[in-house]
Amino acid sequence: MPVKSNYAENASPMFRILSPRQCEEILLAAQEVLERTGVTVYDEEARDTLKKAGCWVDDILVRIPSAVVDRALRSVPKRVTLCNSRTGSRDVRLEGYNAYFGTGSDTPFTIDPYTGKRQRSTKQSVSNACKVIDALENLDFVMSLGIVQDVPLLISDRHQFEAQVLNTGKPIVTTAHDIYGFADIIEMCEIIAGGEEELRRNPFMTLYAEPISPLQHAWEAASKLILAAKKGLPVVYTPCVMAGGTVPATMAGVLTQGLAESLSGLVINQSTREGSPFIMGGVFTIMDMATTIFSYGSPEFNLLMSCLADLAHYLKIPMFGTAGCSDSNLVDEQAGIEGALSIAMTALSGPNLNHDVGYIEYGSTSSLEFLTINNDVIGMARRLVRGIQVNDETLALDLIHKIGPGGHFLCEDHTMKHFKTETYYPNLIDRQRYESWVETGSKTLFERANEKVKDIIENYEPDPLPKDIQQKIRGIVERSEQKIAK
Amino acid sequence: MSNYYEELTQSIISGQLDRVKSLTQQAIGAGNNPIDIINQGLIPGMSVVGARFKVGKMYVPEVLMSARAMDAGMQLVKPLILSEDIPSAGKIVIGTVKGDLHDIGKNLVSMMLESAGYTVINVGVDAGPEKFLQAVKEHQPGVIGMSALLTTTMLSMKDTIELLKEEGLRDKVKVIIGGAPISQDFADEIGADGFAPDAGSAADLCKKLLA
Repeated sequence: MPVKSNYAENASPMFRILSPRQCEEILLAAQEVLERTGVTVYDEEARDTLKKAGCWVDDILVRIPSAVVDRALRSVPKRVTLCNSRTGSRDVRLEGYNAYFGTGSDTPFTIDPYTGKRQRSTKQSVSNACKVIDALENLDFVMSLGIVQDVPLLISDRHQFEAQVLNTGKPIVTTAHDIYGFADIIEMCEIIAGGEEELRRNPFMTLYAEPISPLQHAWEAASKLILAAKKGLPVVYTPCVMAGGTVPATMAGVLTQGLAESLSGLVINQSTREGSPFIMGGVFTIMDMATTIFSYGSPEFNLLMSCLADLAHYLKIPMFGTAGCSDSNLVDEQAGIEGALSIAMTALSGPNLNHDVGYIEYGSTSSLEFLTINNDVIGMARRLVRGIQVNDETLALDLIHKIGPGGHFLCEDHTMKHFKTETYYPNLIDRQRYESWVETGSKTLFERANEKVKDIIENYEPDPLPKDIQQKIRGIVERSEQKIAK
Repeated sequence: MSNYYEELTQSIISGQLDRVKSLTQQAIGAGNNPIDIINQGLIPGMSVVGARFKVGKMYVPEVLMSARAMDAGMQLVKPLILSEDIPSAGKIVIGTVKGDLHDIGKNLVSMMLESAGYTVINVGVDAGPEKFLQAVKEHQPGVIGMSALLTTTMLSMKDTIELLKEEGLRDKVKVIIGGAPISQDFADEIGADGFAPDAGSAADLCKKLLA
């Protein structure tokens, strides 16, 4: 065996948009925005905390000196782990370039897989969605795929969490209306985990919160960042910005202001308790100037996602990304194109916790068929990212020589050993020959996805929570109902 | 003198604020009737803009540039006319409902309504039923428009409608609603007069309701 000097290998495809110097320039620009322009904070406790941390507070306007941002960037953990609530297995490690995929949560509408109709999402639709996510092997975490709307809306967040946690063991990223809803959800999680400390050690839930662009932290958002820090639980903070609408039309301007919104949230969180787990989000996209939608499928959306991933890696902060979604009003060719492109770019860029798989209609409606199709796309993307190993075993020179001109590789041990790991076999993607496709009913991808969704809803049973724990969770939901009835 | 009008109209369409200002000034200087300047020069420009936007031939920022140019022209002409003679398509009170600070959509609707010739009173964000009631009493608008992004805050829309009923003002004003979680069904359920899915159709809806 010769020794090989100067040998570099790519263990995966190499992909980035921004250079380290560009990342630095954007970070410094965001810090200038925070120091010069500042953000508004509609929560008194947050303003007091920020003031103590060294920020300049004038009424609700808070300017953040760069040193305070630097300190928060030093104290924030570089990694966050999320667990399976049933097995306790630490499945989702948000660090480095690990890319995990999951759904999104707060769509007002969903497509009923039985009628094909767009309807308001309900507790049942969310329960069904979570079962489907639990069953799909390439989905790593759960968001509800709909707002529960057939219960009293003021406490619907508790119902939404109950529907999620009963139907999946995968980690949950959940929304809450305010800190009272968040506190109830934390209480449910502590019951499941077996205590406050146990939940902190092995969290299976992270809260989702967002600022309001441009540069505003509403009371709901700021107080959630504080409660998460006090509890030592991870929180996702996601500016949703639209180029030309709430941020500049230029991509660098989008990144700068969006990052400033994230970093000011980080400062609120870290000033409350240094070392609190924080996941930097960002759905950065364009406002389509013909229709005014917040686009979930534009090339700029993908470009910005990849850039934000570069920034997150530069800053060494776990990142919440977005992929597998579409502007299309139905699951059609456009949805397929937009979903696949975003999943491929996300997998290549390596943001960590990637949500909104299964969204159509620019994030207003969820589709379980689209989710199930994207389950295959994620599998394909993961195969791409695994790249190619080059070594003696994989070069297979002895085998090539043994078979020689005119032979075949079908009966070789080497083929048997490698073909399944080297090749990805999707579930719904069709590679049948024409005749067998006709014999099996000439079904489209959507039809096959619909069948699979119904099969999961009707036949799959997720690991249940113990009965007594289910009852305790019910008790918390009912308690919140009684409170608003008063 | 009609040359001024044709050029004014074209300058509105291309959103040239300075050009609109100087042409309006010239038209006034040449002794044109101020109301004719509005009706034959400025408004026809915005009508074209509105129509082009609707079919996707113009984009939002271009529409807003045209609206800004139109407004600059109006500001020059207005002092010359009695206020009751100033053409206005109607008065509209608009705001984001209580508990909600999201206002990009509401502002967009507001600008689109203004560019369609409406007088808009923008009551801002976090506007509870009392704020809308007060604005209705003060301004006597033909329409009030409420916006919400959240399913929790959209409930406040119903409270405003109920308060208007209690005050005996519900039949004096049309109520329209919009925002991401809003649908026609929800509008029907809470007794609103209309729902518009986007800023362009909000202007059409007002036109229909005030006809």
